[in-house]
Amino acid sequence: MRKGKEAFEERITPREMKEKGVRHILDKIKKSKGYYLTNTERDLSQSDFKNRIMPHTQILVAEERNACGYFSIEISGGASVHVDMLRRQINPIEKLQVLSALMPETMFQTLCRGTNLFGYRPYPENVIRLTVRAFAPYVQVWRVFDFLNYVPNMVPVFEEVKAADRILEPSICFSTGPEHTDAYYVKKVGEILDVTGSDIILCIKNHAGLGTAKRIGDLVKSILQKFPDLIIHYHGHNTDGNDIGRTVEAVRNGAKIVNGGDHAFTGFYGPPPLLTVIETLEDYGHRALGIHKQAIIDTSNKLRPEREYYKDFESQFLGFDPTVQIHKLPGGATGSSFEQAVKGGFLHLMPHMLQNELPRVQVELGNWWSVTPGSQILWTTAVNNVLKPPRYKSANDDLRSLMLGRYGEFPFYRPADEIYEAVFGPEWRKILERDGGYQKVEDVDLEIERRVLEKRLERKATENELVLYLQHPNDAVNFFKFEEKYGKSWILPPKIWFKKGGFNLAETFEFPDAYGKLHSLIIGPQRKTSSGDVVTYLVVDHHPEPILTEMEQEGEKVARKATLSTKEIEALAQAGDIRSPIKGTVSEVPVSEGDDVLAGQVLIILEAMKMLNNVVSVINGKVSEVLVSPGDQVDVGDPLLVVKKAPEGAVGSHDATKK
Amino acid sequence: MKKMRQIKKILIANRGEIAVRIMRTAKELGIGAVSVYEKPDSEAYFIRLADEAILIGDGPRKDYLDIERQIWAARKSGADAIHPGYGFLAENPEFPAACERAGIIFVGPPQGVIRALGDKVVAREMMKKAGIPFIPGTGNLSHGEKGIKEAMEFGQKNGYPIMLKASLGGGGRGIRKVEGKSDLMVQLPLARTEARSAFGDESIYVEKCITAPRHVEIQILADQHGNIIHLGSRDCSIQRRHQKLLEIAPADLPPTVRQAMCEAAIAAARQAGYVNAGTVEFLVDSETNEYWFMEVNTRLQVEHTVTEELTGVDIVREQIRIAEGHEIDIPAERVQLHGKAIQVRINAEDPKNHFMPEGGKTVEVYQSPGGPGIRLDGIVYQGYKIPTEYDSLMVKMTVRGYDWEQTIDRLKRALLGFLIVGPKTTIPFYLSICDEPDFKKGKFDTGYIETHPGIFDYPEVEREIAKLAKLVAEIHVKKINPFAY
Repeated sequence: MRKGKEAFEERITPREMKEKGVRHILDKIKKSKGYYLTNTERDLSQSDFKNRIMPHTQILVAEERNACGYFSIEISGGASVHVDMLRRQINPIEKLQVLSALMPETMFQTLCRGTNLFGYRPYPENVIRLTVRAFAPYVQVWRVFDFLNYVPNMVPVFEEVKAADRILEPSICFSTGPEHTDAYYVKKVGEILDVTGSDIILCIKNHAGLGTAKRIGDLVKSILQKFPDLIIHYHGHNTDGNDIGRTVEAVRNGAKIVNGGDHAFTGFYGPPPLLTVIETLEDYGHRALGIHKQAIIDTSNKLRPEREYYKDFESQFLGFDPTVQIHKLPGGATGSSFEQAVKGGFLHLMPHMLQNELPRVQVELGNWWSVTPGSQILWTTAVNNVLKPPRYKSANDDLRSLMLGRYGEFPFYRPADEIYEAVFGPEWRKILERDGGYQKVEDVDLEIERRVLEKRLERKATENELVLYLQHPNDAVNFFKFEEKYGKSWILPPKIWFKKGGFNLAETFEFPDAYGKLHSLIIGPQRKTSSGDVVTYLVVDHHPEPILTEMEQEGEKVARKATLSTKEIEALAQAGDIRSPIKGTVSEVPVSEGDDVLAGQVLIILEAMKMLNNVVSVINGKVSEVLVSPGDQVDVGDPLLVVKKAPEGAVGSHDATKK
Repeated sequence: MKKMRQIKKILIANRGEIAVRIMRTAKELGIGAVSVYEKPDSEAYFIRLADEAILIGDGPRKDYLDIERQIWAARKSGADAIHPGYGFLAENPEFPAACERAGIIFVGPPQGVIRALGDKVVAREMMKKAGIPFIPGTGNLSHGEKGIKEAMEFGQKNGYPIMLKASLGGGGRGIRKVEGKSDLMVQLPLARTEARSAFGDESIYVEKCITAPRHVEIQILADQHGNIIHLGSRDCSIQRRHQKLLEIAPADLPPTVRQAMCEAAIAAARQAGYVNAGTVEFLVDSETNEYWFMEVNTRLQVEHTVTEELTGVDIVREQIRIAEGHEIDIPAERVQLHGKAIQVRINAEDPKNHFMPEGGKTVEVYQSPGGPGIRLDGIVYQGYKIPTEYDSLMVKMTVRGYDWEQTIDRLKRALLGFLIVGPKTTIPFYLSICDEPDFKKGKFDTGYIETHPGIFDYPEVEREIAKLAKLVAEIHVKKINPFAY
């Protein structure tokens, strides 16, 4: 065992980075005799608990985790920024402020999707830069990737991270197949270094836990042969149960940073347990630097009783899945895919979906990397191909954009002509010629966005609120309104936050609020009012207080809900009565009342399962009524807008006018 | 000498809290109480308290304003008297006239008195004769362009600002302040339109505006035998757009001034041949305590409660006894005026949003304060729905204390004792006034609300724990946290 002092000197802290700079930290890692560990808390939460691990739990073990001596803790980025606002009801930037105050000796790491930031499709460059600047004060390590390994998609983030004096960690997404050779990846690393210079850490991003231990070992070796000074961070998932093997081989071949999770919460699709990684590598003669093992054990001892509150968010299917080598679903998407299968009633089709259709789609579309947003495109396409044949007929907007090359170049090959024809129709060559090519999203006017946000909030917005709004506008506004009404609810223990079925009479809770003031709550009786709402009597800090909860009028909801079949929805669309074909959120309404529209013109853009779907007019006419606005939740068959049909032959079709 | 006529059954031609107030005294006197109501009031609290309730129409408001319906209801129920309350028909001289024709006792002044005092121009002439100081003003303005010219001449002579007043207005309604010549052109036609719709008569007169005066009024009682007494003063300076918000008894004035005003009020009543309960209103200069006659309210006032609490006299009981022909039997030495009383109107309104009524909302929880010095005159109960058809007054609270300081402490304690869940209320606004330094020092005039905008800055931000409790209740009630799943 190392003495505490030595371990502390090996540690890398935010303070050290602030005082001595990024290059000093990188040199320290290069010169060190051993390897460093990252606690990928964020990936564990996302892969095994549908991103639901609450700030309350993070705060609970902040002290222990801070004592562990990690190189970094990944606690932001990926889908977490979105889920913070959507389901955890915390401001993602405030979360970092709170946690960094509690963990002052630990560097925070984020996972940034390059041009897609913390979202699912490309953002304007000025938004990207603004966002990095807003998060940079609390995030020392920036792990950045692009799902096509297309370097230009990552450049604005690279530049801002460097400008903020933070550690830049560009990633190469890893997958398997004939195209995925060491030579290809070594070349890709070279492309990155050309842009970034040598002061980086390179991440091998194995988001699905693909390949064998030997494969990863070879890859690390090949990269280091070409770039011997490079610091390699291996990031893997334990989906097939063998990420410890891959991690060990990565370190044995020269990787300096590897990942793990707290064993009390490790599942099947996220990182392997840290302690097992440490012990295994110790036997091979590799020492974990700066690590205080007892603190890792203490963390899990404290975490263990919390796990029961998160049971609902573990995957519908528990257990390692070696078939990941076939379907290549990333750890972060496995749980949600099964959830969707259960909700969509096609669970029985999952073996076919995962072992036949999904791998087939992957090869057909170019065998690039199944990671956000590519993983959603692959998955949605596979589901549509199986549930709504013929294959590729129900292509969503994101697949179209991808095939048009708007998201970047295909790394190996582009899909076959037949697939283009299935997606775009017989005129596909013209469409590709006309609309194809890499598309840079135009900058938005930030002042206009701010004014829109302030109008929606009916108050001034802070700079950070604007940044969050630009990520996920509707969810951010909903969250800000939630916080105004319910306060900083993230301090509530999971036993309250996730409670199902109501509390027991006289059940008592004590907890501090976000400002440190201790409160007590006792559950009292409840009474239904004549209007159908409910009054609950709570004893709040020893004072009885009746609290009114307004209930949705069940009757109204039922009456409004008309289940329509796809055929009926299509028939209504012919008559100009535009109904929602899917369950989702209205993302944009590009038309307004009184607008003339042509067949083929986009009327409404809906977002579902993180994908955008266009609702297109099938007739020429005039918009007479718009019934929804951005942010509205719609169900299948809900009325969206009404188009009054133009007389036959009055105007040409949308496509015709474009010629 | 009028003959005595005992009232056996009284019809209350009104609704809401004043109907309740009158019924309470009727019950104490052993007189049967008949309520009338319009359809939207079918569930109202006041009709539950009545011995009989008679539906007079679909309303809203028009049937309460319909004299024939009241007389019809009185006949139908066999009531031998009608009490008009305040508002609606209370100051309409046609009402006592109709009662007289029907042989029903009207609990209020004779029609001639109401008519004379109701016409502000006639009233001013009357007060001139009685030697009571009054504010410079005009008679009724001529119609059209000529009227504007008359008002302009007055403004030229006496200086702006001036007040435009509806001759038949009252209770703060039908008054407009005009800052200058150009303003006058705009305001006068508006004032006329307003007067026509509110009082059915578009006569307007002009008065010099006394800037930031105090509003002090004297409660008087006069019987049919020529006895007139006063029950002391009330300060109703705290107003919003001429609507009283908070009333205090007695007014804080040097004893000599107060005495002079009381005597002037009695002289005014005598000059008018006044009978029954009435109020003589004065404006008082905040600096010099100079006072001017403003008007006589020929009815029971909303704020009569403060006088009752201070003197122990039941004004409604006296009204009925006077109407029966009794002589006032209250020796001056029994009219004690010790301590302080304050009345606040707890309305279902949002003070921050121009006192917008919260009509349509339901009072889900209602708990009221009690203990020493608290009086409640209300119609609210758990489950009460704030009407959209009528006013939003839920309950008047009158507190009585030993002195100013103790009364404010008590008012604050009592306001905090309310628990009202559902609509927004004026309670936080009154609490804000209780903490305002000028109010605490007793320094306020009719400009108080305008010059103290800070009282609207009471925190609406709930305590953090109150917000969290709301969420916990929602997780409990919905049996799942809709924001987590």
